[in-house]
Amino acid sequence: METGLVVATDAAVITPFSGARENGEESLWQGLMAGRTAIGPIRRFPVDQGHYRARIASHMDDLKGSDGRSMLRDLLLRLVPEIGPVPPDSLMITATIKAGADNLESFCHGRQAHLPDLLLSSIADIMGPALSIDSNGICISASCASSTIAVAHGAALIQSGRAEVVLVSCGDIITEYAFSGFSSLKALSPVPCRPFDRDRQGLSLGEGAAALLLMSARRARRENRNRLGTVLGWGITNDATHITAPERRGKGLVQAVRQALNMAETDPEEITAISAHGTGTIYNDLMELNAFRQVFGKRKIPIYSVKGAIGHTLAAAGAIEVILGFKTLSEQTAPPTVGFENPEKGADGKVSAEPQPVSGHYLLTTNSGFGGVNAALVLGR
Amino acid sequence: MSWGDDNTLRVHITGIGWVTAAGVGAGRVNDKFALPQGPLPRIDPSDIFEKPWPNFRRMDRYSRLGLTALALALKDAGLSRWTRKRIIGIIASTVYGCLQTDVDYYKTVIPGRGANASPALFSYTLANSYLGEGAIRFGLTGTNYVLTEQHPSGLAALRTALNHMSMGGGSKFLAGVCDVECPDIFGEPGKTPAGAVFFMLERSFTRKISPYGQVSTDKEGEINLDGNQIKDLPALVQTCLDRFHHA
Repeated sequence: METGLVVATDAAVITPFSGARENGEESLWQGLMAGRTAIGPIRRFPVDQGHYRARIASHMDDLKGSDGRSMLRDLLLRLVPEIGPVPPDSLMITATIKAGADNLESFCHGRQAHLPDLLLSSIADIMGPALSIDSNGICISASCASSTIAVAHGAALIQSGRAEVVLVSCGDIITEYAFSGFSSLKALSPVPCRPFDRDRQGLSLGEGAAALLLMSARRARRENRNRLGTVLGWGITNDATHITAPERRGKGLVQAVRQALNMAETDPEEITAISAHGTGTIYNDLMELNAFRQVFGKRKIPIYSVKGAIGHTLAAAGAIEVILGFKTLSEQTAPPTVGFENPEKGADGKVSAEPQPVSGHYLLTTNSGFGGVNAALVLGR
Repeated sequence: MSWGDDNTLRVHITGIGWVTAAGVGAGRVNDKFALPQGPLPRIDPSDIFEKPWPNFRRMDRYSRLGLTALALALKDAGLSRWTRKRIIGIIASTVYGCLQTDVDYYKTVIPGRGANASPALFSYTLANSYLGEGAIRFGLTGTNYVLTEQHPSGLAALRTALNHMSMGGGSKFLAGVCDVECPDIFGEPGKTPAGAVFFMLERSFTRKISPYGQVSTDKEGEINLDGNQIKDLPALVQTCLDRFHHA
């Protein structure tokens, strides 16, 4: 097997922007570019009777669980017609934080529930048969950086010659379980989240799924595949300071970004845009701006977050943002940061509520999460 | 560190720690290892940690289990004391993760429709939370995540850590497994025995310490110890112990 360049050849995204017969990636891109948000009133479980800090999220009204199966299954299966063909020898790497947590709720309320959907390995159990892949793969669970790390791991396996083709698939759904937890931590915004805005009040949860097919460049050429972009470098670190809060100076993220840049043999000056984690929480956004300032100095590099449009899709966030990162590079346009109005210190001239032109070949995408995890990827055109 | 003839990275195993139904142990202290089905022993943190750790008792059982094995592996390797944070990664595999904690947490949500949801419990409803606690306790800033194997072998974390090390993603890793008993809701015995085992892996070291051997992966991804293929996790631990105690 050829070692070297890792090419993304195909991708699929499902978010609340995805219509029944529309291309999920294109409808997401169009929604982003129009500055729309999918964050709205929750209709999946009763929030009016609850004691929650928010009553909104970005979720799909038509997502169904049937015969005791989790809604996660419905979500993931929507990826299948949008990606492919997927080679049967693909190694499968999946990512989720809570898998079919709706079935935990069902079980606790005495309703029918297929309990294996609760396991982290359930994504592969759903996607493998649907795509006719029999892969002894792994599922990565690293809070909000799960699928970012899955992409890094897949790229590492290809670059080291241990795999030719890797399918990364990931997803998480909106459940009362997760919603109540983030509410109890006082992390939810009562209004749609506003990343990097001075008046931000917290995050908005979202649901989504993504699949990304990675190949060695040689295999991609041999199969005459599309080239969405390349995965050039990655870095994964831990803050080692707090379980649920970021290290305020951003030292861990800086370390991850520098690792990724070194591996990609890319200078900070060559990065044309940053897809930030940008959750809209006070401390995450400050931490990220601090970290980016340390790596990129005072340069007015376009920074964007998609979470004001689709919410925080938990384990799916990283892969969705990788796919949008490729789109940003191909369109040479960074999407708007929906909800952004009044710049947080350090965001002025970098974050915008309007699309921003970019000019270059390399993009940085980052995610950080509970447990102190930071992950950074350098993507190429 | 060395590179094999087939250009695969070989790294030293310098520490081993475990908690299984057979007991609590570490490589330099115990010469026998077993991973039987059965209830896990009670863990007294004062027996494990050199300094008091008040938060330990507040953690969920899955976290306490994993952190105990992790701490024993670090101590066995002579790396438990530190003054400056270190780039040491942690990769752990699991089957059930914190699922029992998830159930316990959701039971705090139901009665008041969220009014009594426990933020303390929710913090431990991520399978990787305990790795974050370990990173804080021991100052470990390297790559840090949990994985689940589709077909559990117990060796995936080791394989993954070796891959990271061969790609320049760090030179020291803790790699292991952690699972409490199968959650009650499944109403059946678990797929794998409950327990936690961690290995300390190092490309190189300057401390005066005898490693247990050099571990590597072959082209098929199989784990080898000093060039000999290892079939499963218990075999790897026992082979290390045999070499150390009976060499």
